[in-house]
Amino acid sequence: MDIQAYISSGILEAYLAGELNEQEMLEVDRVATEYNEVRIELDALRESLLKYAQVESKAPRQEVLDGALKSIQEIEKEKFFEVLDDEPEVRIQRVNIVPVWTIAATILLFLSLGFNYVFYSQFKNTKDQLAALQSDQTSLANRVSETNEQLQYAELRIAHFMSEDNIHIRMDGLDLAPESFANVFWNKKSNAVFISVDNLPEPPHGHQYQLWAIKPGVAPIDAGIFDHNQLVQELKIVRGNVEAFAVTLEKEGGSPIATVDKTFVKGFLKKS
Amino acid sequence: MTPTIESKISHLLAERNKEAIELVFTHYGSLLLNIINRVLRDDEMSEDVLQSVLLKIWQNGHNFDSSKGSLFTWLVRVSKNAAIDKTRTKDYRLSQESKNGVEVVSIAESISTGDEIEKLYAKQLIAQLPGDQKVLINMSFFEGYSHKEICENLGIPLGTVKTRIRTAIKHLRSII
Repeated sequence: MDIQAYISSGILEAYLAGELNEQEMLEVDRVATEYNEVRIELDALRESLLKYAQVESKAPRQEVLDGALKSIQEIEKEKFFEVLDDEPEVRIQRVNIVPVWTIAATILLFLSLGFNYVFYSQFKNTKDQLAALQSDQTSLANRVSETNEQLQYAELRIAHFMSEDNIHIRMDGLDLAPESFANVFWNKKSNAVFISVDNLPEPPHGHQYQLWAIKPGVAPIDAGIFDHNQLVQELKIVRGNVEAFAVTLEKEGGSPIATVDKTFVKGFLKKS
Repeated sequence: MTPTIESKISHLLAERNKEAIELVFTHYGSLLLNIINRVLRDDEMSEDVLQSVLLKIWQNGHNFDSSKGSLFTWLVRVSKNAAIDKTRTKDYRLSQESKNGVEVVSIAESISTGDEIEKLYAKQLIAQLPGDQKVLINMSFFEGYSHKEICENLGIPLGTVKTRIRTAIKHLRSII
């Protein structure tokens, strides 16, 4: 294509003047895209006409642009207000949503607090009851344990009494209390001594009964003081060649030496 | 520089930026007004239509596809359509009826009376441009006359209208 001839043909001026139909204009655009000279020529022509229009007051009045810009501004303003118009709905929704949630949350909170209080009170009561029950149980367990111990002890004593190793000595009342009597069980192997107080008179205030083991040729040997109210009591261990057992009335706390004239009961071992 | 303006405008149009309209007005306004005026033959009404065209360009600028033609071709299409739409309005028909017969006189005035040409001559920059060339430039680019109309009004053969316009602009370019 002869570009200079194309340019010189006046088609570019016709293009700018609006003389060409759209098809022809698009053809010029195509050529201008392909040939840089054509594009440059077109731009130069347009710039020249622009300058001419400015100088010769052929350009459209400024009011045309101002009017268009004003319309654009109004459209933008309308759109802005459309956005604002949408806003209240959102705001109302927000205003509505927030109190509903707040009220609901507050109600739930107070309900929760109320239930918490009730449940805590119940829990505390239950805890106290449980503690009381545990305490009862503990004391019961202690008692059971105590009773068990007592039972075991009783069983031991029964075993002791039933044992063949045990020697039974019946002590009969002497002149001071002819009605009285008591029994001694002496284990020859373990040397344990038990007394079974059966019928001894109430001792005077500040006095106590004391058991003695009597061996030949020696002073009576202390076998321990005992409570005359208690049926069976384990006393001191007694070893050796015992001839008899006797109970004397002594001052409270007992005496190292037997007060022989206050002998209430006395019994001799049977000769085997 | 100019391709930068075309691409700059395209870019601004895509963003719906008002600056695009200002640039279109500055760089293409007079050419578009001329194209509208070719259809309407009414300066005032053409300016109204140009105003609506600027608005349409701003509203539909994102539809412009540079791969399908130049910005100018697109602007011309929008302008022509707007002008044609205007001819279908009652407003346009009434103005045409009242102008019948007057038009020829006014055209004759604008060409024959030396007043305006005198004014143009007063402009130093374009002082050297022959009057007939100015008339050609004005008619073709600023007053909405088609080549055929110029031929008829000035009595120049249609075949030479194009080359005379080209010569006039060439002259213009040489002095500005």
